[in-house]
Amino acid sequence: MLDKGDEDAMMEIAWIIPLFPLLSFLLLLAAGRVLKEKSAYIGILLTLCSFLFSVLVLWGRIRGDTYKAEADWLNIGEAHIKAGFEVNQLNALMLVIVSLVSFLVHLYSKGYMQREDRLPVFYAYLGLFTFAMLGLVISPNLLQLYIFWELVGLGSFLLIGFYFYKEEAKAAAKKAFIMTRIGDVGLFIGMILLFWKTGSFDFQVIFQEVEGGGITQSMITLTAILIFIGAMGKSGQFPLHTWLPDAMEGPTPVSALIHAATMVAAGVYLVAAMYPLFLASTSAMLIVASIGGLTAIFAASIGLVQRDIKRILAYSTVSQLGYMMLALGTGGYTAGVFHLMTHAFFKALLFLAAGSVIHAVHTQDVEEMGGLWKKLRITGPVFLIGTLAISGVPLFSGFFSKDEILSSAWENGNYVLFGLAVIAAFFTAFYMFRLFFLVFSGRLKKQGVLVHESPRSMTFPMIILAVLAVISGYINTPWFGTFLGSWLTEGNPYLEPEHRSGPVWIMGAATLVSLAGIALAYLIYRRNSISREWLGGEGSFLHTVLYNKYYVDEFYQGTIVWLTGFVSIFLSYIDRFIVEGLVNGIAASIHKLGRLLSRFQTGQTQHYGAIAFLGLAVLVIIFALTGGMFG
Amino acid sequence: MDLDTLLSYKWGAMAPEFIILGASVLLSLLDLFLPKTYKRNSLAWFALAGVILALISLGTLISGGTVSILNNTFRLDSFSIAFKFILLLGSALVILIAHSYQPKEGFRAFRGEFYYLFLTGLLGAMFMASSGDLITLFVGLELLSVSSYILAGMRKTSQESNEAAMKYVINGGIATAITLFGMSYLYGLSGTTNISEMAKIMSGQAAEHQYLYLYGLAFFMVLIGLSFKIAAAPFHMWAPDVYQGSPTPVASYLSVISKTAGFILLLRLILTLFLTIPGDKADLSFLEQNSTYIGCLAGITIIAGNVAALRQRNIKRMFAYSSIAQAGYILAGITALGYFTFDAVWFYLLAYVFMNLGAFAVIQLMTDQSNSGDISEFAGLYRRSPVAALSFSIFLLSLAGIPGTAGFIGKLTIFMNTLMTEPGHFLLASLMIAGTVISYFYYFGIMVQMFFRPQAAEGRVVLPAGIGAVVMIALAGTLILGLAPNSAFTFLHHNFGSFNDFLK
Repeated sequence: MLDKGDEDAMMEIAWIIPLFPLLSFLLLLAAGRVLKEKSAYIGILLTLCSFLFSVLVLWGRIRGDTYKAEADWLNIGEAHIKAGFEVNQLNALMLVIVSLVSFLVHLYSKGYMQREDRLPVFYAYLGLFTFAMLGLVISPNLLQLYIFWELVGLGSFLLIGFYFYKEEAKAAAKKAFIMTRIGDVGLFIGMILLFWKTGSFDFQVIFQEVEGGGITQSMITLTAILIFIGAMGKSGQFPLHTWLPDAMEGPTPVSALIHAATMVAAGVYLVAAMYPLFLASTSAMLIVASIGGLTAIFAASIGLVQRDIKRILAYSTVSQLGYMMLALGTGGYTAGVFHLMTHAFFKALLFLAAGSVIHAVHTQDVEEMGGLWKKLRITGPVFLIGTLAISGVPLFSGFFSKDEILSSAWENGNYVLFGLAVIAAFFTAFYMFRLFFLVFSGRLKKQGVLVHESPRSMTFPMIILAVLAVISGYINTPWFGTFLGSWLTEGNPYLEPEHRSGPVWIMGAATLVSLAGIALAYLIYRRNSISREWLGGEGSFLHTVLYNKYYVDEFYQGTIVWLTGFVSIFLSYIDRFIVEGLVNGIAASIHKLGRLLSRFQTGQTQHYGAIAFLGLAVLVIIFALTGGMFG
Repeated sequence: MDLDTLLSYKWGAMAPEFIILGASVLLSLLDLFLPKTYKRNSLAWFALAGVILALISLGTLISGGTVSILNNTFRLDSFSIAFKFILLLGSALVILIAHSYQPKEGFRAFRGEFYYLFLTGLLGAMFMASSGDLITLFVGLELLSVSSYILAGMRKTSQESNEAAMKYVINGGIATAITLFGMSYLYGLSGTTNISEMAKIMSGQAAEHQYLYLYGLAFFMVLIGLSFKIAAAPFHMWAPDVYQGSPTPVASYLSVISKTAGFILLLRLILTLFLTIPGDKADLSFLEQNSTYIGCLAGITIIAGNVAALRQRNIKRMFAYSSIAQAGYILAGITALGYFTFDAVWFYLLAYVFMNLGAFAVIQLMTDQSNSGDISEFAGLYRRSPVAALSFSIFLLSLAGIPGTAGFIGKLTIFMNTLMTEPGHFLLASLMIAGTVISYFYYFGIMVQMFFRPQAAEGRVVLPAGIGAVVMIALAGTLILGLAPNSAFTFLHHNFGSFNDFLK
């Protein structure tokens, strides 16, 4: 057994975890041209180190207590701002998730990007991004978190724009950076306001002030909302979500890293890390929950009509992030963090598997795919596992975490949001299985492609993630104990140790809803196909369903297709014209103002002088009218 | 005044100024008597040595305490030392940039002139930092301005350069006239030109209500006149034309040294005088009561600079607008008048010296040979010179205020300053943020060119010694101030306290 000192020793070295990827970044930047393909090994090895240390730190935290080390970093006037690191339950868990997914993505990229000339650059960017994300996670105060938060944005900008010769990729990179920046502004203002009111950026100090009544209620609500705006930008919450689907222009491993486990999870992490602040304001909680619920259903419905495999997954990510926010907003701290973890695994899996599919058939259009089940003997099953997990089929990880979220929404008493979440669950199961059937069943529609399974460096990470997508749910179940829940809230004065089992019927209903979604997808996308052998033991159950197929199909055609089609087209129009329009409108008006200003810039020097005099005159007149002797 | 009185002054307080003056005189003599064939470029090392020597002698003065000589017209207080430090540091970097300046035509013959005129301008700026009297202040201002007018037209055969000098001199004349008119009001009201005496007399007068309006007139005229030097609204419009036309080292000098001098003057004059005059409302000084006006100018400057920069294709014009916007941020810091206004402004100017001069060094490198200065010349720079592209990106990130860089800490301190005073300047803070977000577009536009576009031209770009040195120093400065900002603040607090002797 370890004694106390050993546990602290494990956590004391937590600062080293982000440094490995930083080292990888610097090394590859300096020597990438020499190392060429060998760069991949450096990246893989160093992130593996990060992962191993993260596991040690997590182990140390499970056995020990929260550890914190910091030193003065900036003294302005009376204000002392510190820098350092902290290991608590939440970020120890995040460290492992982030470093594991990053390691697997590094490994996967070795196969996926092997023909890429700029491989060292790619691995360097991956290193920078991983460094930023790990740094974000271990920050003990808001300012430090903000600094890494920005770096994460920068890393994602570089990664999304990696194929810079593609116009779309370039535009997407810029869009991702600027859209998330809009959110960051909220975070920044919220952070400064908190500092102003509490005199510290430190999480614990802020929470104490909040609890001790050092801040007025309206200020708590304001700052919580501002911070949530930052989270919205990073986590792709409506209406700041539009960058996320566009960001699919980046290489697929990047999508798995950024859009499954790390950057988009940062927003959820932020809300979780600042949770006591949110808990202190019911209106902020309601806003978090509502935006989350709205995003969940909104993105899920858009996902129904997409054709691009990665875009479907992107909308699905947006929708799942909405779920997490919904959970946090309805008081389900454990539920949100739990879903964050399971989602990280199964969504990374789905992205990597999608990458493997794209690698095999060289298209991203699901309508052109089909019949890949037999050809891709590893990708197919792992994709199915991911799909089952995200759909919330019992015994897979997503089932437990989604159930937790639904229970939390129900117990919170917000039945509208609960209803939205249930419908979104139905949609999720439907579009994911639509995707699955279109890709893997039937016949390949694109001709002249030699389909082959991906190399081992790609399949290995997928298998690991597939295992996790199944088992990671069992750390917090109503059946075998809520280890995660009780551990996360243990010793935290702001969170009550929660045990949320919810009414039993929720679990049943959730199962039914997801099965209904799957069944519907099956009937529509599988029914007309020829090769049905892959289903194997289709028996009487299947027969019964087939018996009713016509009726269901008609029903679907008559109502649901029309309705969902209408709704999702309507919503994508809102997305395209109103949200985008608003953003573009602001941009356009800034450009117009620019044109107006440059009209003054005549090049005539007398005009410049005249404007200065005019300015002086205006100031003096205003002064005369408002202050001074006429005041 | 007899010789004994003259000798009794502590002339040592002026040692840095004497060194710069000496170097400048020697350089002009050297330039005059050296043979025509001699390459004037090596004079740069002489000028640099002078600046470094001045820096060292300034360092020895830090512990000397406040010295006031020549009937209180020349003050050596912590404020002046701290800001002279920035001026000298910036000048050293500009000299290095100038050393590598190799335009196609029109500069070689006048290179010698450049260095001594440059040092003369620096001398003016240093006098502004130390002046305790309106007369020395004005003489310093004019010394700086007149040298700058000539410097802007240094490339005598280039039409652009001539145009720049012409515009600069006319606008500068207008600005000086306005400033001087404002100063004449101050003299008229107080009957003295000495700033600290003036402050005493005026705070006595202010109880009488009718003076306030005259104070207001003086305040606005000085403010508008100085807005020319710092290139802030409403007197900012000369900047793009002048920056574009002037030789690149001169543009970098105008955007950093001259601007810093403007801020020094603004702080000295406005804070000494108008902060001590009580306003007509209880407990608030004239300045606190009227800081809204500075805030308005700051806001307009931020928006005008950033928005106009969006449309620029010429890199020097874009940087002119960018430097206008940066002036707006610093003005925002002055508006707030929190208890660390001085720290915030000093730090921002220091950071600005590094990031902006570093950027100008790379700009000069890329635009030297071609006269167009179009942004597309930066296309694919990453492949032609990774060092130049990466360091330029860091300067751009710093100017944009991305964390990890000096610019972020600078913006953060100013931002905290604007929000953490009572009442908080929320509108100004949001304008600052909006401006920052807009600025991402044009700063990132350049980065997109460098990294994401095919090369504009073949061949590697080699950094000449001077440029290389500036880039490395600026890079180190930007990163150190960004990652360990306390180093600068500790230096400031340790050596200069809290500028307590500023008003004494």
